[in-house]
Amino acid sequence: MRVLLIEDYLPLQKSVAKGLREAGFAVDVTGDGADGLWYAAGEDYDAIILDLMLPGMDGLTLLGRLRTQGSNTPVLILTAKDALSDRVQGLNLGADDYLAKPFAFEELLARLRALVRRKYAQKNPRIEVADLLIDTASKRAWRGGRELHLTAREYELLAYLAMRAGETVSRADIWKHLYEFNSEVTSNVVDVYIGYLRKKIERPGAPTLIQTVRGLGYALRTED
Amino acid sequence: MRSLRTRLLVGMISGMALLLIIFGLFVYTAMARALREQFDASLTATARTLAAAPELEEGEFELELDERLMVEFQPSERPDYFQFWLGDGTVLARSPSLGERYELPCFAGPIEAPVHRPVELPNGRQGRAVGIEYRPSIEDGGRTAEQAAVRLVVGRDAGELAAELRLLRLLLLSGGFAAVMVALLVGGLVVRQGLRPLSLLASRIAAIREDDLTERVQGDPLPTEMLPVVGRLNQLLGRLESAFERERLFTRDVAHQLRTPVAGMRSSMEVALSRSRRPDEYRESLSDCLAIAKRMQTMVEDLLMLARLEAGQAVAASERVVLTQLVDSCWRPFEPTAAERHVAFENRVAPDVSTIADHGILSMVLSNLLANASEYTNEGGSIWVCARFASGSVEMAVSNTGCHLSADEVCHVFDSFWRADPSRTDTDLHCGLGLALVQRGVSALGGTATTSLTGDDVFTVRLTLPAGG
Repeated sequence: MRVLLIEDYLPLQKSVAKGLREAGFAVDVTGDGADGLWYAAGEDYDAIILDLMLPGMDGLTLLGRLRTQGSNTPVLILTAKDALSDRVQGLNLGADDYLAKPFAFEELLARLRALVRRKYAQKNPRIEVADLLIDTASKRAWRGGRELHLTAREYELLAYLAMRAGETVSRADIWKHLYEFNSEVTSNVVDVYIGYLRKKIERPGAPTLIQTVRGLGYALRTED
Repeated sequence: MRSLRTRLLVGMISGMALLLIIFGLFVYTAMARALREQFDASLTATARTLAAAPELEEGEFELELDERLMVEFQPSERPDYFQFWLGDGTVLARSPSLGERYELPCFAGPIEAPVHRPVELPNGRQGRAVGIEYRPSIEDGGRTAEQAAVRLVVGRDAGELAAELRLLRLLLLSGGFAAVMVALLVGGLVVRQGLRPLSLLASRIAAIREDDLTERVQGDPLPTEMLPVVGRLNQLLGRLESAFERERLFTRDVAHQLRTPVAGMRSSMEVALSRSRRPDEYRESLSDCLAIAKRMQTMVEDLLMLARLEAGQAVAASERVVLTQLVDSCWRPFEPTAAERHVAFENRVAPDVSTIADHGILSMVLSNLLANASEYTNEGGSIWVCARFASGSVEMAVSNTGCHLSADEVCHVFDSFWRADPSRTDTDLHCGLGLALVQRGVSALGGTATTSLTGDDVFTVRLTLPAGG
């Protein structure tokens, strides 16, 4: 999952970005409101974490502009302002969630995952495709009752495909949701990771779950 | 005497008692005098009747007393007394009531102005006597001739007079006492009634809750004498309300300002602890946390300083401070960053300008002003400090170029936590308390601080400090 973190207090920006990356998110970071809007408008993020007091452009203005531009990306406001009026104003302007500083990092992660699930219309944190089971809360996966031992990147790839289970997901989409803005990977890294994932998921005798849709991308579903 | 009621009552009753005593004494004196005069007048009348008694027959005095008149002078329980003397002091006649041994004192005045005197009577009682001296008339062939003088003293028991006076005293005393008692009762009721508005005011004050200082004391049915109290009380409440509001906003701001660094520290530590890491990763997290802790420490110290200045506890000692030296020493810490940003600094303070002030506070004020100036001066800009004596005070000005504040924003620079760009609170070491500290510090030193902005983006903070002798 790829998120945008807009926070100008550097120590917080650094630790939150580090924590999110370690939790498997791809994170783009900026400390400036105007830059934040530019990032948000240019990329299809799974969620945006937004501070309110920002240089360049304040968070509420940014949010307002983003929604006027037609973006539906879930936005989580993260701020020291926690008066009821601030929260109401933020939510009225189109924020999806509100978290007051200081916060528990686990809570930020949980809220972020809930936002991402909502984006893909997945309310249940457990996704099932045939005998494949993915628990997005605990970030674990099982096939036929046996747990799969996935790296963070492999899990994120599987979870992304599972969120859009049944759909054909393009290589560009996968790349965009798994890699940060300035990462130096090429798009064929997606094929490499699909390969790793297949080795761990597919088993002889069981139906193939990761389908290659020639010229379009991949899909997580049982063969028609 | 702490009680207003007692004080009023005691004052009222003592005043009234004093008045009654004066009145009683006056009445008593006048009445006693009138009674005594009446007594003496009757005594004189008796004496004048008696005075006609002696007659001279053939060169000898003879008393011709009416039997009925003599009844009074016979020995009885309370008889009257008389005694006649001739001019040579021989006793001419005595009333039978005087008995054998007793003599009335011999004193006299002319018949038209008799002399009255208290005397002791034979039975030991107190009495009054009148003395007259006259020449009895001699009837000798229709001719009246001058004869030798005769003295007559008539005495009478004054027991009745004393009893009347005693009764008068008793009447006056008991009347006075009753009047005081009635006054005490009525006065008590009146004072209690009069002080009832005080209890009403007390209950109204008690109804004001500490969590709602917008309420005011109603002065409606209270007596006019208490309205100034109500007015002052309401003014006090108004001042308290605004002070509490300021305090509340300040506390909210403090909490708000602490949230972000606390969030940074917490997430740094939570992320660091979320898995096992290499020592250098822990070291990095710890140094991040240390930097945050230092920032919070600065803020807490600034807040404490602010609180101390506001409570007036910070001024410790007054000493002569040579301003040009102070400016140089306060500028030193900012020199490296200023040099990096090509900011020119000029200390224009003449060496003879000095003031008597608390060195610590003055250098805190100046350091904060210079910190502020060095932070906001444009790259390649300049900072300068001037000072001069001006009629009993020292004026000092710290100016810097490159100010982008509007005239409206300049008015807010002394507010706690005010920043032209609110987001800056989260990023640098200072947290918007510097200029608030400057203002509180200067006022603790007995001076004032003002700001100005000139057209060429020059921001100046002017301090007026007492020159201190």
